[in-house]
Amino acid sequence: MSRQQVRGNPRMRKGLGSRTSDPATMMEDPPSGDWLTLRSDQFLNWVDDAVYNIAEKTGIRDVVNRVTRPIFNWGLRYSPWPLHLGIMCCALEMGAAGGPDHDSERMGVVYRSSPRQCDILIVNGPVCEKLRPKLKTLYEQMADPKWVIAMGECAIGGGPYWDSYSVVAGADTFMPVDVYIPGCPVRPEALMHGFLTLQKKIREKEPGYFLRR
Amino acid sequence: METGQLVQQLTQHDGASDGSVLRSNVGRISITREASHSFFSTLKNDFGFDHCSLISAVDNQTGFELVYHFSIVDAAGQMLEVHIDLPRDTPTVDSITHLWGGADWHEREAYDLMGIYFIGHPDLKRVLLPDGFAGHPLRKDYVYEIHEEEW
Repeated sequence: MSRQQVRGNPRMRKGLGSRTSDPATMMEDPPSGDWLTLRSDQFLNWVDDAVYNIAEKTGIRDVVNRVTRPIFNWGLRYSPWPLHLGIMCCALEMGAAGGPDHDSERMGVVYRSSPRQCDILIVNGPVCEKLRPKLKTLYEQMADPKWVIAMGECAIGGGPYWDSYSVVAGADTFMPVDVYIPGCPVRPEALMHGFLTLQKKIREKEPGYFLRR
Repeated sequence: METGQLVQQLTQHDGASDGSVLRSNVGRISITREASHSFFSTLKNDFGFDHCSLISAVDNQTGFELVYHFSIVDAAGQMLEVHIDLPRDTPTVDSITHLWGGADWHEREAYDLMGIYFIGHPDLKRVLLPDGFAGHPLRKDYVYEIHEEEW
């Protein structure tokens, strides 16, 4: 898996150290006396040197991948937890999809209130200029692997507010979107279909690697 | 007090004109902006209008018009509409936040979207749009440019 195939924002990874086994750029030994205290980037470098590179060079990683990939992918597929975030009227349809009639929880879709515990960000309404930095922060707070569902016309392209002075013309102008669900508002069945489409996408595209970078 | 009697008494005030009765408990009056400060003090202290329901700003192309809605919170529920005409080049008026605290955000909204400047307002800044937004978008002469930003 090359570096370009890694999902997520590559800018987030810049500060994480060199991640190489090249001796010139390898981590220096901590000064003696306080060698137990590592900064987080030092720890990540240590993990790279001691675990990742060894597993990669010896071929252990490929072997373990072959075993764990179906299991990890199955786990990702059937527990896509969305963020419990409502922007406008599509949020009511999202609530209806979680209610007893449609019951999205039978597909493992459990709404969580913290972005740290979530895999999916559902953008269910128009994103105005004041909301955009907050929504981007929420997206960046979510842990990899993560996906974005643009729900409804407003999130796809601005909807009826596309040329407004304060509404952003589509969520994909500032974050990568995986599934687009048209509708105004989106019916709960369509949202369920969007979750199933995302499951299909995870089955085909997401490797579910052991020791992902 | 009857609404007709109320409007008639208010029309006696300096700078007031166009007093009329719209419905059985709704009156309407116009006031010049120079006289608005003392007029609103009278309205609050002598006539007992204790609630500022709404402040709307209207762009009439030649100038701006402010429409205040005041009410008395009691069984009769009398309301009064106060109109103030403002010139287009200097849309300023005295703030009424020292009389009705609830007028604070109404005035901020009128400033934000229509660009009316309220003199004496404690914290006149944008309330709906993000800080740093250029212009006042509900004005008729506002020109909108589509903003694009790469992610």
